[in-house]
Amino acid sequence: MGNAVIRFDQVSKRYEGGHEALSQLTFEVAKGEMAFVTGHSGAGKSTLLKLLALIERPSHGHISLDGQSLAKIGRSGIPKLRRSLGMVFQDHRLLMDRTVFANVELPLVIGGIAPLERGRRVRAALEKVGLLDYERQLPASLSTGEQQRVGIARAIVAKPNVLIADEPTGNLDPQLAVEIMGLFAEFQQVGTTVLIASHDLPLIKRMKKRVVVLDHGRLVADVAAEEVL
Amino acid sequence: MSTPTDVQPPTRSERSHRRPVSSWREHHSWSAGASLRRLASKPVGSFLTIAVMGLALALPLAFYLLLSNAQSLGDALGRNQVINVFLKPDQVAANAQLLAKQVQQHDGVANVTLKSPQQGMDELSKMQGFSDSLHALDDNPLPYVLEVQPQDGLSADAVGHLVDDLRGMQGVDMVQDSGTWRQRLDALLGVGNRAVLILAALFALAVLLVVGNTVRVDITSRADEIGVLKLVGASRAFVRRPYLYAGIWYGLSGGILAVALALLIEFALVDPVARLSQVYEGKLHVGGLPPWLLLAVPIAAAFLGWLGARLVSAWQLRRAA
Repeated sequence: MGNAVIRFDQVSKRYEGGHEALSQLTFEVAKGEMAFVTGHSGAGKSTLLKLLALIERPSHGHISLDGQSLAKIGRSGIPKLRRSLGMVFQDHRLLMDRTVFANVELPLVIGGIAPLERGRRVRAALEKVGLLDYERQLPASLSTGEQQRVGIARAIVAKPNVLIADEPTGNLDPQLAVEIMGLFAEFQQVGTTVLIASHDLPLIKRMKKRVVVLDHGRLVADVAAEEVL
Repeated sequence: MSTPTDVQPPTRSERSHRRPVSSWREHHSWSAGASLRRLASKPVGSFLTIAVMGLALALPLAFYLLLSNAQSLGDALGRNQVINVFLKPDQVAANAQLLAKQVQQHDGVANVTLKSPQQGMDELSKMQGFSDSLHALDDNPLPYVLEVQPQDGLSADAVGHLVDDLRGMQGVDMVQDSGTWRQRLDALLGVGNRAVLILAALFALAVLLVVGNTVRVDITSRADEIGVLKLVGASRAFVRRPYLYAGIWYGLSGGILAVALALLIEFALVDPVARLSQVYEGKLHVGGLPPWLLLAVPIAAAFLGWLGARLVSAWQLRRAA
């Protein structure tokens, strides 16, 4: 695949203590593609995303993102890599003592964007996730689904090329989960590469996107979008 | 639903557009504001930290104020310093006047006043308790006396040399120097000045530790926030910057409080010092804290706050990494 944005090549990850979370994993995600990584608990889904965000380093193999080898990125280069990624977490990772606006604003502040431009972009992102009226509220006053949408707004506000999400619908009811996945699909439609780790098979089937299946850290199936039943 | 252009992936020109100076300015502006909001969000804790620092810095300032005024008092008293030169009883008026002229020509002498035995007797008779006993004397036993006033600013050593020279003059019986106390005061002031420097250094260290500990506690309590910041791409410098600003705000506020306290002390001293000055016929000019010091203390305290925050945050964030 010539236009791969995410590339895993024979990647293994063994944690201290000997547990092998990923083994000889090879796959690619093309530019503008949306893919799910699924598997049972402990299959290696979260580890895969952690390797992409350089929260962990692989024990063997090579990973590249947007043509850049992650092995060549030193400690000082990690922040820059993470700024190029949009990350969504199952537990949202919001700052509970800051307003919704301040949470979504964070990547732009880190990017050194001027306040006026920050305000414009934050409101656009909040409008996109349907939370424009909540910008002055604290996350604690929002429902779990709304908090997850704040997390998504924060992930997209800096206009990343790649969006990764770790169980983004894990705590949501089915209806809300479909809405959230619909949001991700919209970002894919405008050219964002989206990689989502999820164990919610019915939801994944409903989205009809490519599915990478892991089992005990090994790739056991790679199902193209058109083949998903 | 159409996707707003504001949340679409960046174009190549957007990605390549770099504004390091404005980014730097935005980072500092945000960090300064964020740190101020943090301080304001816990007013009691912030006030107590600032109060401890203010008091710690005010103490050496107060000592400095007292010492500089003691120095001023010593200078004022020094201007009243007189060396009494008692001539031998056999010296007549002509000899005494000649000796007065010789002494007047000495480099270290500002003024010489010749007092005759009769003038001495008159002064004594005005003193309570002496009048009756002086009437009992058959004749005046007092000698001619030269009251020698050294020049202003003459060092203690130079005054000592002057006294030696006076003792060596022909016709001089005895020299009484009232300046010994001044040497003792100068020595005491020297000790005091050194003590102020040591105190200032110790309290500066205290400020460093207070800010350092406050920042350490702050970083520990914000471990989750730091984790989130790192996940969304914050560099270590970005994470640390609000804590450095917090150190600056703590130091600056503590310094301003210290100056305010010192000015209060100075204000409280105005009346008693004015009365003391009257005793010395206005010769005592009591000074307050100099303007450069009033400016330097908050700036130095802000620097100490920054330094304490920098040392601790570097160590604490490295541990958290």
